[in-house]
Amino acid sequence: MGVSGWFRFKGRSLFSWAFTFQRLTGVVLLIYLLAHLTYLSTLLDTTGATYESMIAITVSRQFLIFDILLILCGVFHGVNGFRIILHEFGIAYGYRKPLLAIFIVIAVVVWLYASYIMYSLTGG
Amino acid sequence: MESAKSVMEPIAWIFQMLTGLVMILLITLHFYVTHMTSHEALKYAEVVSRVAQPEFKAMYAALLLIVSFHAFNGLRAILLDTNAGMRGRKTVNALTTLAFLLAFVYGLYLLFSI
Amino acid sequence: MVEFKIRRYDGEKSYWQSFEVPAKRGMTVLEALYYIKENYDSSLAFRASCRMGICGSCAMKINDKPRLACETQVLTLGNTVKVEPLDNFKVIKDLITEFDGFFEKLKAVKPHLIRKDDNYAEPKELLQTPEELNEYYVFTLCIKCGACYSVCPAAATLDEYLGPAAMTAAYRFCADSRDEGQKERYEIASSPNGVWRCHLAMECSEVCPKNVEPAKAVQLLRRKTAFSMLKSLLGW
Repeated sequence: MGVSGWFRFKGRSLFSWAFTFQRLTGVVLLIYLLAHLTYLSTLLDTTGATYESMIAITVSRQFLIFDILLILCGVFHGVNGFRIILHEFGIAYGYRKPLLAIFIVIAVVVWLYASYIMYSLTGG
Repeated sequence: MESAKSVMEPIAWIFQMLTGLVMILLITLHFYVTHMTSHEALKYAEVVSRVAQPEFKAMYAALLLIVSFHAFNGLRAILLDTNAGMRGRKTVNALTTLAFLLAFVYGLYLLFSI
Repeated sequence: MVEFKIRRYDGEKSYWQSFEVPAKRGMTVLEALYYIKENYDSSLAFRASCRMGICGSCAMKINDKPRLACETQVLTLGNTVKVEPLDNFKVIKDLITEFDGFFEKLKAVKPHLIRKDDNYAEPKELLQTPEELNEYYVFTLCIKCGACYSVCPAAATLDEYLGPAAMTAAYRFCADSRDEGQKERYEIASSPNGVWRCHLAMECSEVCPKNVEPAKAVQLLRRKTAFSMLKSLLGW
């Protein structure tokens, strides 16, 4: 079948979306981790000049959209991951449907709040 | 059907869950410190002085270890979910473990050289 | 009249074919398929047996969801009904899919009571309380229709993955108070193609026509397998 099997949603429930999104955000966050470590290499310049020049680029209005998307990935992966861990431990399996709805709402609320913080940091 | 005992799988599964839980706390803390304490938190001098404090150093080292494990074990799980990945299971296991260790060691090097 | 759009496959090419079926109240999709076979095209191939949701032969994708054709009312589906073979299985002809691998996986988990005192010459009664029965009862309801396997994203990309049905069967016997084969089955379940490949998409539980909750069984089996592996590792 191939990897396209992870992206079949016709006739599927929200659970399949959650699974695929968890996987995609996981990959995005892995790439971000590598980028983050690379980025922090600029701290090795002890004058601080390299680091400050990079911060000037990334903490900016133009970069805000990436921050917001990254936060979406992080928050969704964390909140949905917590739901999965609960079920994997055998907790609240009977409530899996309401739990999915509640956790999606939580993810959206946390995402909007964190995005607002990022927005105000860039001088909003 | 293969039934060779693998101690890696149960341990990886349990640690993936445990690191996930700890990360919810540590990454929230990390985000709070860098974005919500002050507008100056990302300045070079601030970062260096923060990392110099032992409690922050320990926190970042722990976060680094946990995140690197979770990330590369997650990648391992995704790769092993495919036919190609499962055919090269030993290679996938070895490479993702190596990548995890590299990321951890490199992060530690950064943490202790600034 | 209801239009039936059927995904045909003749061994070489795959195509859609439409049939008009006079639907009436109480008619199931399986009856409609028999109507087509008897009146329009006798070459239409599908698998069916009991007509009452017991044998698990007639699971197919009806309007994008895997269901038992014999338990799906035509009039609940609208004016067009799309019928396709199950995903994640190799199609042999029309709506018939290859189940050999699926049954091999079921066999692999030893889905039968394993006793140390097996003695067919002098069989003895095995007692069980209702509470002990309830531990696994829901998992005995599986009819091996393959609906769970057809929506499993792990089974979609990994041919050797045991899949929800086989692991549910494994857990059903592991949780049986009369069984003494847990250790053997945990070892099978802990193979790289076993419990570790489940990432809880939980779609299997959504589509199960018998509400067996295979996702729950896999979680319970994985927890038991992990702890049993760790215990043996630590020498407890």
